[in-house]
Amino acid sequence: MKTGTEYYHQLARDTFMPQPGRIVEIADMTAKDRYFRVELEKPLGHHPGQFVMVSVMGVGEAPISISNGPGKDNTLEMVVRRIGRLTQVLHDLKVGDTLGIRGPYGSGFDLGNFYGSDVLFVAGGLGLVPLRSLITPVVAEADRFGKITLISGCRNPSEELYRDQLDEWTDAGIEVIRLVDGTENMPWKFGVGLVTEPIPKLRLDPEKTVAALCGPPVMYKFVITALGARNVSYDHIYVDLERRMKCGVGKCGHCQINKIYCCQDGPVFRFSDLALLPEALL
Amino acid sequence: MSYYLATQKEIVDWIKRLAAENPLYFPEKHGAASYRFTRVGPGSDIQFDHYTPTVVPPVKLLVPAREELLHFRTDADGKTEVRPSLDTSFRIIAGVRSCDLKGIFLMDLFFKEGVPDAYYLARRENTAVIGYACNTPCDERAFCAAVDSLDHTEGADVYITPVKGGDLLVEVKTRLGETLTAGVDWKPCEDGAARRIGAVTARPEPFGRTFPAALPEIYKIVEKNYESPVWDKHVKRCFSCGTCNLVCPTCYCFDVADDLHLDVASGNRTRSWDACMLPHFAEVGGGHNFRPEPAARQRHRVNRKFAYLPEKYERGAACVGCGRCGRQCTSHIDIFDIVTDLIQEGAR
Repeated sequence: MKTGTEYYHQLARDTFMPQPGRIVEIADMTAKDRYFRVELEKPLGHHPGQFVMVSVMGVGEAPISISNGPGKDNTLEMVVRRIGRLTQVLHDLKVGDTLGIRGPYGSGFDLGNFYGSDVLFVAGGLGLVPLRSLITPVVAEADRFGKITLISGCRNPSEELYRDQLDEWTDAGIEVIRLVDGTENMPWKFGVGLVTEPIPKLRLDPEKTVAALCGPPVMYKFVITALGARNVSYDHIYVDLERRMKCGVGKCGHCQINKIYCCQDGPVFRFSDLALLPEALL
Repeated sequence: MSYYLATQKEIVDWIKRLAAENPLYFPEKHGAASYRFTRVGPGSDIQFDHYTPTVVPPVKLLVPAREELLHFRTDADGKTEVRPSLDTSFRIIAGVRSCDLKGIFLMDLFFKEGVPDAYYLARRENTAVIGYACNTPCDERAFCAAVDSLDHTEGADVYITPVKGGDLLVEVKTRLGETLTAGVDWKPCEDGAARRIGAVTARPEPFGRTFPAALPEIYKIVEKNYESPVWDKHVKRCFSCGTCNLVCPTCYCFDVADDLHLDVASGNRTRSWDACMLPHFAEVGGGHNFRPEPAARQRHRVNRKFAYLPEKYERGAACVGCGRCGRQCTSHIDIFDIVTDLIQEGAR
């Protein structure tokens, strides 16, 4: 084991120092969700489903999902919901401003588990943001997969994220099922219902299907139950979980799910691996 | 490794001499019955008798309540310079009892594992530890023997055991210990190991409180009783204040927050103690709380000490039996009682 003051200084820098990222594009997705494209100094080198710690020095730091697929360029895409002090400050930033990025962190999705299979994505609300980091590479190599289906649901039409992207995926031949819990008197040309509702009627080969889920905590049990009823095996279901995180390196304790750390062992888990973790789906 | 025999006075003089040259912390009495690790100065009262565990364990000198991780400054052009703030100053912690040595030993493991923690390890590398053996239980709350920490000496540079006849047996355990004891004129001791065994065997038996089951079995019982009425029994009295976390020698969870100085151009990113018993510990943005009930938080805390960390590190219980959580709890909730109830519940 290495020791010495020089090593500890380097270690402290490597662990906690954010790298600068310059905002090159901002777009409003909803009244409270804002899209950011950030140019880093070097490629992020991430897997789908990983996250970064985003910070503004003097304000704070928070875990934010990576929304773009893996690539060799220096791009980071994310969608930030205005929900607290840091996210308010992030929403106030302009193109050309700099923010701090640490990461990527976490296990992420392994594309190898999806090749050759029918792929079913189920996204609830903001869950579409991290899932997009997996959907993008799957759609890009669509011939290496079977049937690709996305069920994307949100509360009402004004809360739908990535609308143009959903259109593009539809045009690319992906079966995209767009749902809202209720239209709330807003114009909406797609379906109304919960993301579980299309599952019993899906054309679905349980032997060939691998599912990736991301959404609010309450969503998972119902979707997994619905998939179980269609005989999709639990080791073919991947869930991308959310937890409070302060460090990203398995120390601060906030993200612990029973004996494991969501920031390192997750946030993506094969559902069958969660059998011994009763705190996973709460 | 070498042994000496010294008198109490010789040891006290030695500690005062070390304290004159280095920051040295020793458990000094504050008020009627409370001890605190205090920076030793010329007026300090150094004595080893009548000790009860300090309110806050000595390992917290290595994991301070609040510490700076990064310092930043933004210049007039808007460029921000960020640099880590590392404490590499030397310190000595003396009079550390075995339970607290075990606490430091476990923290060493936790902070070395995975992504090593530069801040803890830099402080630890620059810290000398002088341990002191307990030959009688400190009070009725201790259960160090029950969790195998009564004879823990690893991590100490010098370890002192009171032996028959009133002398102190000094065991120099590391190179740093040799430096600390360089030039002492104590009597070298040929049969140190035997004298130490003599002191150990002369201790009262049982030593402090004991569990009605052996440790490896306890880990299984705690894990198996994930659903148990015991989790509701004690927590009925819990205020979710987090004191048990703050006084625990093996609790290290932390929060991270930024401070902006009044110049609005510079500041720090700091980390400070957090506590898994606090209501909002597992709450995410938007308000979803993954452990909203006090019982779920207490179960998590007990599982960390007696199931999760023992399984992960395979170095025994992550509770050192110091009894601090029970001693300091406003409602007298004691992890010893919770584990005992789980064992008895499991036996039913």
